[in-house]
Parts: sequence; C-alpha cells; structure tokens
Amino acid sequence: MRNFILYLIIVFGGLFAAVSWKAQRDQKLSSIPVLKVFGSSSFISQWGPGPWLKEEFEKTCECRVEFFDGADSTILFQRLKVEGRSGGADVVLGFDQFDLEMIQQGLEWKPIDHAGYNFFPEVSSVVNLSPLIPYNWSILAFVFKKSENSSLPNRLDDLLKPEFKGKIALQDPRTSSPGLQFLLWLIRVKGEEEAFSFVRKLQNQVSTYAPSWSGAYGQFTKGQVLTAFSYVTSPVYHFVEEKNQDVVAAEFVEGHPIQYEFVGIPGTCKHCDLAQKFVKLLLSPVGQKMIMEKNYMFPAVRGIKEGTPFASVPKYKTLTFEAPSSAAERERILKRWSVQRRGD
Amino acid sequence: MFASFFESIKYVGHLVPIAFLRIFIGYYYLHLALEKFKGDFLSRPRFSAGIAEMLPSLNIPSWYKHFLESQVVPHWQATAFVIVGLEFALAFSYILGYVTRPMALLGLLYSLNLLMLSEPAFAAFHKTFIAIHFVMAWVGAGRCLGLDYYFFKRRRGVWW
Repeated sequence: MRNFILYLIIVFGGLFAAVSWKAQRDQKLSSIPVLKVFGSSSFISQWGPGPWLKEEFEKTCECRVEFFDGADSTILFQRLKVEGRSGGADVVLGFDQFDLEMIQQGLEWKPIDHAGYNFFPEVSSVVNLSPLIPYNWSILAFVFKKSENSSLPNRLDDLLKPEFKGKIALQDPRTSSPGLQFLLWLIRVKGEEEAFSFVRKLQNQVSTYAPSWSGAYGQFTKGQVLTAFSYVTSPVYHFVEEKNQDVVAAEFVEGHPIQYEFVGIPGTCKHCDLAQKFVKLLLSPVGQKMIMEKNYMFPAVRGIKEGTPFASVPKYKTLTFEAPSSAAERERILKRWSVQRRGD
Repeated sequence: MFASFFESIKYVGHLVPIAFLRIFIGYYYLHLALEKFKGDFLSRPRFSAGIAEMLPSLNIPSWYKHFLESQVVPHWQATAFVIVGLEFALAFSYILGYVTRPMALLGLLYSLNLLMLSEPAFAAFHKTFIAIHFVMAWVGAGRCLGLDYYFFKRRRGVWW
C-alpha cells in the first residue's frame, strides 16, 4: 500500500512540475512576436527547407516562426482574402506565375526590396511582374530512364511514337500547375487548334492524367510508365538521393517552359519588418542553397549551384518568358480540354 | 475430451504473453497521456465541454450525473490533471510492471467511467479495456518481466 501511494505521489508530483514548467515556457513564448508563414506542405514538411529556415531565422530574430500549410494556392488565396489581418499571415510562399493575376485581385501586397540580388536571366524577367518575388524555379521537361529508352525523343511529336503508347504520365491541367504548363506549352508552340488536335492524338499515349505532379511522377519511379512530365532538376534528385544516374530529362527542340515559385508579404501582415527579414534569408546564399537542395529546384539567385550536382544540369533551350494568359482565357482553355477529354 | 476440458483448468502457463500485453497497453496509455500533455487538454476545457454537451443524452444513474454536473464540469482543470496523471501512472506502471495490481484496479475504474460517458459505438472498446485491466489485476501481471516480482518474492501479499 505504501509503495502504491508513494508511486502515485511521484507520478502526480512529476506531472505537476511538468505542467508548471510548460505553463512558464508558454508564457515566455507568448511574449515574443510570432511570424506566421503560409507555405506548401512540401516546403514546410520536415523534408522541406522550412524547418531549417525557421531554426536559422529564430537564432537572430528574437521571434518565433510558425508554419501553416497553405494547401492549394486557390484555397490559400481565399483564406488570405477572407481572414485578412485576423488570419495573421506575414509571409506567403508557393504561388506560381499563373496565380499572380488572381492573388492581386482584392489583396494588397507589400513591396519587397530586391535590389542587389544577382538573379538568373530567366528569373529577372518575372521579378517585376508583381510585388511577389520568385525564390526558386526550374525548367519543365519529360524525364526518361536511359536504360529503358535507346534513343530519347527530341520533339513533342516524338511522344506520339508507338513505343510510348499508354506509357506517358501527365498531370491534369485543371488541378496541377505542371499539367497546365504542358497544355499551354502545346498551345504556344503549335497554336490552339493544332495543340488540341495533338492532345486528342496523345490520348492513347497517356497512361493517366494524375491530379498532381507527385501522382504522375510516382508512376514513373514505379516503372509503370516510360516518361513523366517533370523538371530538368528531377534527375539530380535521383543522383543525390539514390546515386542513380539513369534518369535524364530530354531536351526538345521547341524549347521548354519554366515554372517559378513566388514569395510575398500580404499588406495585412502583422510583423512586416520580420517578414522582410525572412524573405531576405530566403534569398540569401544559405537560404537559396537550402531551398535548392531540399526542393530540387534551381535557386533564383546566381552563384549558388556552382560546385553542386545542380551545376551539371545541361543548359536547356527555354521559351522566352511571356506574361501568363489571363485567368479567364485559361479557364476557357481548360473547359475546352475537359470537353475534349470527356469526348463530347 | 469433456473431462480434459474441465481438467485443463489446472493448466499453468507462462505469464510472458500477459507481460507483452501489459507493456503494450502501457505504451498505449503513455501515447495517450503524452498527446494530452503536449496538446491543450490541460489548458482548455475540452473534456468537460464534451461531458456537458453529452450529459442530457447520457443514460447514467442520477447520482453520477449530479457528480459530473457539480464536480467534474466546473472543476475541469483538476479533472484534466487527474485524467492525464492517471494515464501516466497506468503507463509507467504497466511498462515497468510496478504496483500493477492496484493500478489495474484504478485502470478498471477509469475505463468504467469512460464506458458510461462514451457513445454506444465505443462501448465495446471500453468493455475490452475493462476486461484487460481485470485480468492484469487478477494474475498480478507485474510479476513477469516487472518490478513487482522483486516485492512479491520478499513480501508476498495481495499488492503484488
């Protein structure tokens, strides 16, 4: 009986001490500012660059960084619009170039000082598009395994060859940014009518229109398809993580589209100065290197990838940057794609 | 065959499988307690709010209902503290095999309370736990792979 009572006293006493310590710690933490950063789940997950940036920033900022999963960019935009200042977003990450028009409708953004950064030429063209700043980018291309393909295709029409029948993984353009990029790429190089005619011919070649990049790429890594629409930096992932040099991105003569990711500071930010400092860290050499190594995308700023496996990515012919078509225009194209896909 | 069926009551086996179950249940309670400790269970009246919401629909004795209304719901902080403390106590006791018998009886009482407060869908779950605590107390599960064996050897008695 004595042992039992003593045991209960020790456990409850220990819990009391732990609860008191936790309350003290929480009180201390609540007295310092909290920088709220909304980002994609891949950015803020333990495998993404988020946790490192948080740790690095908290060393000097006398603040706490809290990450929030922004989920889909449209949902995030609606959330920012509805919640405004009460939502408390200080930094928002993960919008692409197609979101720029949407996010400036009814939302104000603080300008970010980007003078003095040595951006890649591909990035410089999008820096002044909006108050948001690109923090990484990559070129989209079809990836293949050298061991499965004796000769790589070098033009879009090569995808219609019989060996690729049912062996191409693409993304659904209605739900995935790379999927939309592919459709707009076709329209840009072939013209709308010919592009949709190409899409019709491609139906038999495509194994699936996955709702996301990861769904399509998963089919490629599992060997269910011969190729997937991905990034020229995807082979670097296989080289670094798996020591596998079999994966390559094919260069097409038409030139390749580019995908950018942007960071912005909403006008309703509560800790705007801290947000500016966080973006500075994001664009600093250490921040850019971390983003490059975790996201497997190119850094926006030059002088980072030298001496890393990213430097070995060959130079691909890219399409010159054109401001994305309007949201209404894209909606019309997507409707047409949906109708054609249903076979109406 | 029928004679063997009744004769088998004399069969004496190892307590190792029971010790495995005990440690597993201990780990389960540790997980529960840590979740509550790390979350806001101790700082927000989640448990008592749930009880207050369910009270009108609960089919429990009136004295117990009165006890919940007058003691548990208003003193939610103390209640939450006792619940987390009890779960930690059960966790350490079952993992270490220390004071397992009296703790199993407390666990039985705890599961009985949860059974009365739970929705019918969870009733089977809590009944299973009541049975497990009962067996732990009955066999003195801490005597195998547990600290209770040390005391059982020296002192005997019902506590070990």
